[in-house]
This record gives sequence, structure tokens and C-alpha cells, in this order.
Amino acid sequence: MVLKRETSWYKDATIYQVHVRSFSDANGDGIGDFPGLAQKLSYVQALGVNAIWLMPFFPSPLRDDGYDISDYRAVHPSYGTLDDFKRFLSIAHERGIRVIIEMVLNHTSDQHPWFQESRSSQNNPKRDWYVWSDTDSKYRGTRIIFLDTEMSNWAWDPISKSYYWHRFFSHQPDLNYDNPAVREEMWNVMKFWLELGIDGFRLDAVPYLIEREGTSCENLPETHAIIRDLRKRVDEQFPGVMLLAEANQWPADLRPYFGEGDEFHMAFHFPLMPRMFMGLRLEDRKPITEILQQTPQIPGSCQWCLFLRNHDELTLEMVTDVERDYMYDIYARDKGMRLNLGIRRRLAPLLDNDRRRIELMNGMLMSLPGTPILYYGDEIGMGDNIYLGDRNGVRTPMQWSGGWNGGFSTADPESLYSPPILNPVYGYQAVNVSSQERTPHSLLSWMKHIIEVRRSSTVFGSGSIEFLYPANHRILAYVRQFGKETVLVVNNLSSAAQAVELDLRRYKGNILIEMFGRNVFPRIGDAPYLLTMGPYQFFWFRLRRI
Amino acid sequence: MREIVVTELMQALQQMGRDFAHYLPRLIVMLIIALVGWIIAYVLKVVVRSALRLTKFSKLSENAGAAQLLHRADLPSSTELVSRFVFWVAWVGFMLAGVSVLGIAGLEESVSRFFLFLPRLFVALVILFFGFLAASFFSRAALLAAVNANFRSSRLLSISIRVIISMFALSMVFEVLGVAEQTMLIAFGIAFGAIMLSLAIAFGIGGKDLARQFLEKKLAGKKEEKEDELSPL
Amino acid sequence: MAEETLLTDDCVRQLINVGEVDILIGLPTHNNSRTIQTVIRAIQTGILKCFPRERAAIFNVDGGSQDGTPELVTSSSIDDVWRASKVFALRTLHAISTTYGRAPEPCTALRTILAAADLLQAKTCVVISPDSTAIEPDWVQRLVRPVYDDKFDLVCPIYRRHKFEGALMQNLLYPMTRSIYGSRVREPYASEFALSGRLAADFLANDVWNQEWGKMGIELALTITALAGKYRVCQSYLGIKAQSGRAANDLVAVMRRTAGALFGSLDGNYAFWSGISGSEPVPTLGTQPEALVKLVRVNRKRLREMFATGVAHLEPVLRSIVSPETLTALQRIATLGINEFDYPAEVWSKTVYEFAAAYHKSVINRDHIIQALVPLYRGRSLTFVLENRDDSGEKVEKREESLCGEFERLKPYLLGIWPDRK
Repeated sequence: MVLKRETSWYKDATIYQVHVRSFSDANGDGIGDFPGLAQKLSYVQALGVNAIWLMPFFPSPLRDDGYDISDYRAVHPSYGTLDDFKRFLSIAHERGIRVIIEMVLNHTSDQHPWFQESRSSQNNPKRDWYVWSDTDSKYRGTRIIFLDTEMSNWAWDPISKSYYWHRFFSHQPDLNYDNPAVREEMWNVMKFWLELGIDGFRLDAVPYLIEREGTSCENLPETHAIIRDLRKRVDEQFPGVMLLAEANQWPADLRPYFGEGDEFHMAFHFPLMPRMFMGLRLEDRKPITEILQQTPQIPGSCQWCLFLRNHDELTLEMVTDVERDYMYDIYARDKGMRLNLGIRRRLAPLLDNDRRRIELMNGMLMSLPGTPILYYGDEIGMGDNIYLGDRNGVRTPMQWSGGWNGGFSTADPESLYSPPILNPVYGYQAVNVSSQERTPHSLLSWMKHIIEVRRSSTVFGSGSIEFLYPANHRILAYVRQFGKETVLVVNNLSSAAQAVELDLRRYKGNILIEMFGRNVFPRIGDAPYLLTMGPYQFFWFRLRRI
Repeated sequence: MREIVVTELMQALQQMGRDFAHYLPRLIVMLIIALVGWIIAYVLKVVVRSALRLTKFSKLSENAGAAQLLHRADLPSSTELVSRFVFWVAWVGFMLAGVSVLGIAGLEESVSRFFLFLPRLFVALVILFFGFLAASFFSRAALLAAVNANFRSSRLLSISIRVIISMFALSMVFEVLGVAEQTMLIAFGIAFGAIMLSLAIAFGIGGKDLARQFLEKKLAGKKEEKEDELSPL
Repeated sequence: MAEETLLTDDCVRQLINVGEVDILIGLPTHNNSRTIQTVIRAIQTGILKCFPRERAAIFNVDGGSQDGTPELVTSSSIDDVWRASKVFALRTLHAISTTYGRAPEPCTALRTILAAADLLQAKTCVVISPDSTAIEPDWVQRLVRPVYDDKFDLVCPIYRRHKFEGALMQNLLYPMTRSIYGSRVREPYASEFALSGRLAADFLANDVWNQEWGKMGIELALTITALAGKYRVCQSYLGIKAQSGRAANDLVAVMRRTAGALFGSLDGNYAFWSGISGSEPVPTLGTQPEALVKLVRVNRKRLREMFATGVAHLEPVLRSIVSPETLTALQRIATLGINEFDYPAEVWSKTVYEFAAAYHKSVINRDHIIQALVPLYRGRSLTFVLENRDDSGEKVEKREESLCGEFERLKPYLLGIWPDRK
């Protein structure tokens, strides 16, 4: 193991999100697997990222893309064996890449033996492992998350003739965390993987662990107590392991999940992402600065996780109605692009495949406070397929080359788990890794460069942020500072060239060094610092006093 | 005797003939000067007329109210008037210059006096012209302002202003012409005093109304306010 | 170019920051600190409600306020300096301000607004009076929509009025504009209106700014330019019009700005208006509100008296303006007592036309002509009040229509006394 047991590695990390199934198929059965993923780790390493986040790879009926787990201690046979996983893990660690795996705490699959036992009779010992009720009228104040498919949070079980509680799909019964046995067993599950050597968990759907009458059944104090307990055990037995919360909440509601630095290490900043897209199309920084102003301070050891796109839809839960309508009209005119309260599209098609906009969005992702997550395929500008159901349109095979199945698998194209993208704009013949690796100006090469520039400074991961508010609202400008290092970031959200005057008097006497080309810009004086910026252009300047 | 007479007569005739022969070229010169003068004056008139037309002089004087004044006095337009004036002054000047060529004693002095007097005459006429214009303009302005302010003695005010300005212009004219300066001064003083007195009385009478209105407004202000004027827009 | 001298460096800097906009709302102010915040709040609410996605900005042009009006405007920007009390807005809504002089000049104010609209490529430019305290957020959409959605070039307002309100509008400006330019624009001289970017740019390039009549009443000049230039003009129902106290008191000034500008407009546009007979209705959007019912007390005795003394005292002046027949008629009317007083529509329209012709010929100083019209208008407004005293909206409207008919019928008379006639 070459990786040191650093305790705050996640703060300066760049995370690459991968689905084993979609990345690379080594055994030629049409489904990606761990041996395939292990082979491609050199690519991941070359990209410059230092952590990889795997989506669920456990045995599962796969009715929710693996988030319906039927065995927590094994690997889904399609993806390989536990030994394949161990081999992958050690190669990753050799290459300096940490591995974060998914842990679905809130619910299991209805195929999980626990649930099968629990439903078998009213007095089974595992009966209490799930939330059962004779009526479907309890917890009325609880919202339904999958509005498009579910009518209620209760589902009727014909076998034990009662209702069971589920916050997501009805085939995903919620575990009963009021039961100490459940809590202990779930810790054992986590310990199983920690002992294999994984570096972190992404804990799925954490706000919903506990239910209480008369509440929204979200973010309850009891839920926080469970998380604190988990964290304590992790810190004591596996120092350096990171816990990442998936809680689609407003920043102020998310804040408690960091506790006093004794709950989660990291949490996704859900409301920021749609507002970055919104700010770009409005050509107005207001949505972005507003949400960041409303974002509370978090303990020094904690970190936000930022992302542009992921395996889910671009969620619009954390926006107002006016904003949601706007986002739909701008980014998802076609109703087929919408799912639940969100937009199921990839980054490149969302941004009209406009290289300048893709670069600007990635530039903001990499320079705003937090750890960026890249979704596989977005680094080469992959497209989506909205004609595949649910969120499968953004989970198509990785496009490695222009050859057979885009280099993903040697299987018959018909036998692939999902058809690859074939259209002339986004298809694997146009967009693939090997062609982009050959050109220094490809999106992939550019992504490698920006990741490298980001890694050249700890200011992006750990620094403070202070917004400048130039009167030109199309310019989003902020100063990141950490220790003696100061970086000025200026983004032009507009499709047209802009002039902007920045008040940099506090930094008078510094010269600016543009971080990509390392060119020197004039010294800051008393007058407002005038910059002219091209369409969607952004600058990262290192401030130096010479 | 007869011979002497004849001789004298002849001499006289010869003298006359000589004199005539002596004068003839001068006469011709005078006629030529008069003719050339006429031509030059005519050209001058045309030039002045077109210059005035170009500068829209008649529009200007129309605005000042001169057109109406001239119309009433049965005079041609102001442009025409000025150009004609220029023509006559120029031509008369040339004629007189021609006459002086004849060398008639005494005449020359008169001619030179005429030339000295000419600028004064011109200035006096200009003063008179603009004086009457100003009188007409300001009296009308005062009348309109007074009527629209519902001032009762508006006509009196207007006439007073006209008389004052006219008298002032007249006195300046006499001053310039140098005619009976002392007499004019005294006459003007008397007239001005009289007008001032009458104005004072007029204002007193008018002011009575004003004062009444003012007091009414002050004392019964609310009643007045309620009866608001119609909003025009 | 006009912009170069019109906009100060500071103003340009602010406009750069605002950038391209869809809607620019102009607010010409002068010491309006009392009402400006109400108006701005209504505008902002209107924009947020109906045009949340459009890029909009509020542009205040100030004529040297001493009471801090510009500061009140700039402090009401909706931007990203987050404060909980602020309303929700999708995007930044700038409120900027520039000062053009020490005293208010409507002409310069409008020109500055249009120059800014042109520079920012505004699709719609709206002007709203800062003392319109009766403004509702809905006004914004009523003014903007016709331009923004229906591609009209000029939206004139129709206010909700008391039947006696706007007497000059109803007795002179509307009927005469209508008969001369052939379009039934109820409020040719408005303090609230909207125009398209195209009209704004064209009007800005127009020479009217340098002409006497344009300087006098630029709002009227805008309407007339739009009508004469065959732009698409429409009307939109708004609410109650603000009555600034000054307007009613200084009738002569009002007359100069309105009738003066209207008469002046006839000089250059002869070729256009001489060919028009009758009038066309103008598309009108929205629903007509009920007339306002409130107690308006008019000092009829005073009106009659001012008319009579005017006719008597101004006789020499009137003689040079109106025809002998009209003068005789006026003198006869002046003898009538308050109860049988009647200044009939026909005589009134003839009077107005004769004044217009005299104005064109400049028989005396033009300003004096306008001043001489004031007492006669007072007489006409007395008849207007007497006629409509006991009647309701519909009958008043009918009478208005017949007055307009009279103006249209007598238009050939105006052409007959017009000296430009070839």
C-alpha cells in the first residue's frame, strides 16, 4: 500500500465517478466488470484524479441500478468476484488512487434475505428490521420522492398482510434504524469493506434513516445520533477513511450533517449545481453568489463535494418554482429529457456541446470551494440517450475508441447491457478517448491540464473564498486564499465579450500570474483593475508580490 | 457805346460760354456720378435685400412684431424697407457727391454737412424702428401675461409699457439727432414723471384688487383650494 | 453621434455593467424622493411577476435633484448582495442613475433614456413618471407586452380618469392630433409609454431634438413622429394618472409644451398630414376601466370671467390671429352669462385651426400666440364642464366623439388658410 494514511486527503482530491458496469468489459459478456476497470486505471491515473467513486456493485436485482442491494458482502456476479475487487483495489492504491464505494444504509432490495425473512411472518425475529404498519396513514407529513412512479411511501405486502415503509421505490423497503440489531449489522457490513482497504463510503439517502410521527421524517436528531456513532467507530478503528453524505437538502439543512466535525467529512452541495447552469444561461452570477452566500460555514476538517453532472438526473428539488420552470425551458424543452424533478442529460448535450461553455463550467467546478467530482465520460464530452428509460440515458458504455462497441466490450453489440451512443455528434466514432488522447487540444487533454493546474495549489481545496462584486453582473469573481497563497478567479458567464473593473485595492502591489499560461499581468494599483474577457472566458490568477 | 455793349455782351457770352465749357465736363461728370451712383445703389439694394432674405431678417422682425406694425402703417416688408432705405441713402449720397463736383460755393459745405449728418440719421432711424418694435413686443407680452394671471388692469399696464418704451426711444432719437436737446430733456422729464405718477395710481388701483385677492386667499384659503382648476392633462 | 455628448463617462460605465437588456425602464426625475420608492417597487414587482427571465434595468435620469432621489434609485438594485428582506428574483435587476443637468428638461431626459436604450439594444424601452403613485405592478406588463410580444412600436396609455380630468387633452390635443394625423390616440401626450428598440433608435436619430417644437414637447413629438413615420402604434389601458400639482397651476406652461408642440409639428409634416382626411382607430389592448367618480369642484365663474376679460383685453392680439368672423363669435360668447354660456365645438375647432395657421405664419411672436389661446381654452373648458355636468361616461364619450368629428370636418378649412398650399 503506497498511500499514506493522511486524514484530510479528501480536501484536495479530485474524484472520478465510475459505474463498474459502464466502464470496461474484460470478459466480453457485454457488461463492465472489475478486471476491466482495473485495466483502465492507467487512464484514470493519467487524467490526474486521485480518487474513484464506484456506484453500487453488490448483488442486486438491479431494479434501481444497484441501489437495491440484496447482499451487502459480495460483488454482483456480472461485475466479477470479491477477489477481482480486491485486485482492482490494490492496483488502484498502487497508482495513488483512493477508492470510495457506495453504501446504501437506508433500504435494501425486497429480494434481500433480511426482508424475505421479515415479511415471512409477523413474529419473525427479523420482523423488526423493517418498518411495518397495519395502516398506510402513519407519517402523513412525509413527501414522496419519486413522484413519477410512487403514489405513497407505504406499500402493501400481501404475504404478511401489512404495509411496509419505503422512501424510494416500493421494491426498496426501508430498514428500521430504531432497532439496535440493524445498526450493529450495518456497521459490520461497513467494517467488512473497510477491512478490505477501501478509503471511503458514500452513504446514500442518509436523511431518511429514522421515522417519527408528526415530522417530515427527514434530518431527525435520531438520524444524526446514528451517524455520529458510525463516525466515531470509523475514526477509532479506520482513521483516514472518509464519509460522504448524499443528502439532497438545502445548505442550511445540510449543515447539521457535518456536526462539530463529528459526523460526515463531506457532503454534496446539491443546490449549487443547478444554479451554475442557471447562472450560465441567465448570464448572471446572482444565482451562484446567492446560494453560496446562504451556504453556512462548515468545520475546518469538512468539505463540500461539488459536481456538474452525475449518474442521477440534474436535480431541481433545491430550486424555486420559477427557477425550475426556467431550467426546464432552457435545458429540457423536450419532455423526454425530464425525470421526476430534474433533467436526465449529460454535461455536453446540456451545454449544446459548446466547448467554451463546457470549459467554463469545469473551470468553476474546479475553483469553487469544495472537492470536484467528474462523472465518467464527461471528460471527453460524451452524449446521452434520452430514449432509454429512467436514468439509463446517462449510463451508457464508456467510449474508448472508434472501434467495436467503442472499445467498451468485445461482445456482440446486441448483448451489451445498454446500447452505446451512436449518433454522428456524440457517438463513439466521434467522441472517444483514443482520438482525444492524440490531440493536445481535445477536451480530454484540456481536462487533464486543468486538473493538473488545480492540483498545483492547495488553495482550491482548502482555501477560503471571498466574492468580489464587480458592478458587471455577468462576471463571477472570487479570491481563494490559503496560507500565503492567493488566487483570483474571474469567470465571464456571458456569451459576449465583457469589460469588468475589479476592486483589488486590498491586494495592491501584487502582480497577477495567469495560472494556465503562467503569463504575467500588470501590477495592481489604486485604480479599479480593468479586465476584458472573451465569451465564456475565465482566468485563474496567482497573486504574487514581487 | 453799342460796340462796348456788344463787346461786353460778347465777352459775357464768351465768358458764359467759357464758363459753360468749363462747367460742362463737370456737369457731365456729375451726371455720370449720379448714374453710376444709381447703379451702385441699385446693386447695393439687391445685395442687401438678398442678404437680409438669407439671414431671414423678415422672420426675425416678424417675430418681434414689426410685420404687423409695418402692415398697419401700410409699409412694405421690413426687408424691402431696409433695402430701399439703403438704396436711397446711397444714391442721394452719390448725387450730392456729384453736385459737389460742380464746385458751387456754399453747396459743398451743405453737402459735407449732409454726409456728417447721415450716420446720425441712420442711427436715429434704427433706434426708432427697434424702439417701436420693442414697445409693441413688450406691451403685448405684458398684456398676455397679465390677462393669463387674471390681472385686472392688464390693458393699462400694457399701454403704459408701450408709452414708456416709445418715449424712451424717441428721446434717444432726438438725442442722436441733436435736435432741441434741452427742450426734449425737460419735456421728456415732465412726460416721464407724469407717466410714473399715473402708473403709481394705476398700480394703486390695480393693487387694491391684488391686495384684496391676496387677503381673500389668505383668510379663506381653504375655500379657494377646493375649487380646483381643471387638470389640463 | 448623439450618445457621445449625451452620456457621461460615469453613465457609460454603469451601462457597461448593465449590459444588453430586453427591457429598459426610464425614470426621469427631479426631486421625487417622496414617491420614487413606491414607483420603483411597483416596477420591480411588475418585472419579477411578468418578465422574470428578461434582462431588465431601471434607468433614472435626474435633473439635478436636491433631495437624494438618485441615491434612492441606486440603492434599490436587486443584485446578489444577499439580504433576506429582498424579494426573490431570478436575475440581477439593476437600478442605475445619471444626472444630466441642474434643472429638469424633459427633452434631454428622454433623449438620454433613448440613447441608453439604443446602446443597450433594449427591445423595449418604457418611460414611467416618478410621481405616478397610483402605479400598479401590472402597468409594466401592459406597457411592455404589446411591444415585446405583439411587435408594436409605440404603446400609448389610456388612463382611468374622472370625466373632467384632462380637459386640454379632451378638447384640443386629442381631437386635433386625431384630425391632423388621422389616428385616434387618446393620450398623445403621455407621461407613461413604451416604445420598441427600433422606434427608439430611429427617433434618436431624428432631427426633431434640434427643432423648436421637439424641444417644447418631446412626448408629443414622439407620438407624432411615430404616427407620421407609419410605425405600429397601439394603446393600453393603465390605471389612474398621477396629477402633479404644478401642471394645473401653470396653464400657460402646459399649453406651450402641448399645443405649442402640436402647432409646431405642423410646419415640417405638411406633406404628410395634408393628405389625411378622417381618422382610423388605434388598436387598444386591455379592458376599459370605469370612469373615476370623485368630487371635482370647478370655479365656473372664474373661468367665464377669465375668458371674457381675455377676449376683451386681447382684442388687438386676437385680431391678428383669428378671422373677423371668429372674433365676432368670441365677443358674442363673452357676453353670455354663466347659465347660457356656450362655446360651441365648431367655433372652438375653427379657433384652434386659425391659431395653428397663425402660428405657422408667425403673424406675431409664436409664444404670444400660444399665450393668447389660454383664455379661450378656459372658455371652452367651461362649456366642457357645463355640457357634461350631469352626464355619465357614455354621453361624455359621445360628445367627445362629436367634437372630434367637428375637427375632422373642418380640416379642409385649415388647409384653406394654410399658406404652404400650392
